[in-house]
Amino acid sequence: MAPLIVNEIISPDTNLLLALLIGIGFGFVLESSGFSSSRKMVGVFYGYDTTVLKVFFTGAITAIMGILFLSLFGLVQMDYLYIHPTYMTSAILGGVVMGGGFLLGGYCPGTAFSAIAIGKIDGMLFMVGMFIGVFLFAEGYPLWEGVYKANFMGTTTMNEILDIPRGVFALGLILIALAMFWVGEWAEKKFPREEY
Amino acid sequence: MSEVKKSKYINPYIGGVLLGLVILAAFFISGRGIGASGAIKSAIVTTVNTVAPTHAENNWFYEEYNASHANPMKSWLVFEIIGVLIGAFISGAYWKRLKLKVEHSPKISSKRRLIFAVIGGILFGFGSQFGRGCASGACLSGMSLLSVGSFVTMIFMFGTAFIFAYIFRKNYI
Amino acid sequence: MKMRLILASVIIPLGIIIAAVPENTTKPFRLTAGELLNEVQNGSQFISTDQIADMLVQKDPSLQLIDVRSQAEFEKYSLPGSVNVPLSDLLSKEWSDFLDQGLRMNVFYSNGNLKSNEAWMITRQLGYKNNYVLQGGLNYWAETILNPQAPKSVLADDEIAKYDFRKGASAALGGGNTLESNVKESKSSKPVIVKKKKKKRVAGGC
Repeated sequence: MAPLIVNEIISPDTNLLLALLIGIGFGFVLESSGFSSSRKMVGVFYGYDTTVLKVFFTGAITAIMGILFLSLFGLVQMDYLYIHPTYMTSAILGGVVMGGGFLLGGYCPGTAFSAIAIGKIDGMLFMVGMFIGVFLFAEGYPLWEGVYKANFMGTTTMNEILDIPRGVFALGLILIALAMFWVGEWAEKKFPREEY
Repeated sequence: MSEVKKSKYINPYIGGVLLGLVILAAFFISGRGIGASGAIKSAIVTTVNTVAPTHAENNWFYEEYNASHANPMKSWLVFEIIGVLIGAFISGAYWKRLKLKVEHSPKISSKRRLIFAVIGGILFGFGSQFGRGCASGACLSGMSLLSVGSFVTMIFMFGTAFIFAYIFRKNYI
Repeated sequence: MKMRLILASVIIPLGIIIAAVPENTTKPFRLTAGELLNEVQNGSQFISTDQIADMLVQKDPSLQLIDVRSQAEFEKYSLPGSVNVPLSDLLSKEWSDFLDQGLRMNVFYSNGNLKSNEAWMITRQLGYKNNYVLQGGLNYWAETILNPQAPKSVLADDEIAKYDFRKGASAALGGGNTLESNVKESKSSKPVIVKKKKKKRVAGGC
């Protein structure tokens, strides 16, 4: 039956309204987890606060499990879901540049929006920077179009590459995530900092 | 030691499960994950379309975007981001965190923090186009469907951030 | 601290369950058995050779002829403008975009009715739009269009008109009979094409 919009259970306008509601949920979770604070965000890289790691990976494994179970019961048709396409070169490059931006700016776009909502001025300037960055990319697009489209691999998924069932990959990811949480909590004890 | 003091934030694992449910809802309803940088792209394309329509026709980037999106500002992500602003505001109001301020390490000045925020924003904006999405869109939502590109982007993002974290440790600690 | 253990104790068993059960790979079918039986009984999927010949002569762009026979057979003889999708490849990814659309009519044909009907049944079940079967297949095509038999003169006018049309179509489509004749409009009405938005993976991009 789902995704609802593809199977025309809801109209495109309802879809936009639900987008607003999903956004509210997303913003609420980000802010209440403390992602509106840049020092909390980057804490994961210094070991004093691994909230980002915990929320990010708990979110990912919850979503993966949810999708797999819904698909198992036939409630979601995996074929209609948007799978992020893989352009290997550009994925690596994007990750590297974003990693730098993440650390220097202290936010990622989603959290910057939630920081703006509660009045963080650094969040607003980060957003100004984002606009400049996207604009620069758009203006110089012909220069890096080749790189942008290099090494296209289609909508490949991890389990296809490793040639194992999705569920087995999910289980592996859960174990890795829990191990990381354990290390994270150990690091938090080792490098304690006061909460801001 | 901090266990006695009550946290101002919700438990990260509960937050994570809630975040996962939000992503799941997005997939269930719209067949797509959540995102953020796409809304910025929409806004920029709309601005360029209005201010310099001929330029938008000559640049492939805008052309490709316009070809696939009828009305950029009426896109799913724009509505979602308006929701994010509302949701975060509600949360901030509930936990009494609404305050106009610049947050920075006591070791650096506000000005330095703001300059770094802009530089970080530029890099993130630029990188998010290569990554075809930001931390939420490319990484989190893509990972939910086990996309290879998302895992690669995520690993390189955290990896680079670790290196930068060492170089710029003064900014935060 | 405790929360991590709670999370672990919930999510690990779930992970083991999902790893242990096989994936749900069934394609969703859109019709109930009763609905399909009803359609099969009505034979509404059949489209006559005359209609197809007419559409071919008029170069109707909405017509999409699909040859479900093997490649060897396809190379030996095929209808003009047709595409070879052997029955075994029907579900392959490269053809799904081609077949699953609401703009053109998929007309399946094989030598007889059997294979094309099978293809029709599968695509119909998958929810593809506008699927038809060329009635009688290529055998009947050869009989009616390529080498039409003159009707007895005592027959009704429309039979003669039909014969004229077939002769014309035959000439236009490279049949054995090359007598000149005006191609008359076929009275048969074209099937109504349901223009429906194609179901598509949601366009993404963060």
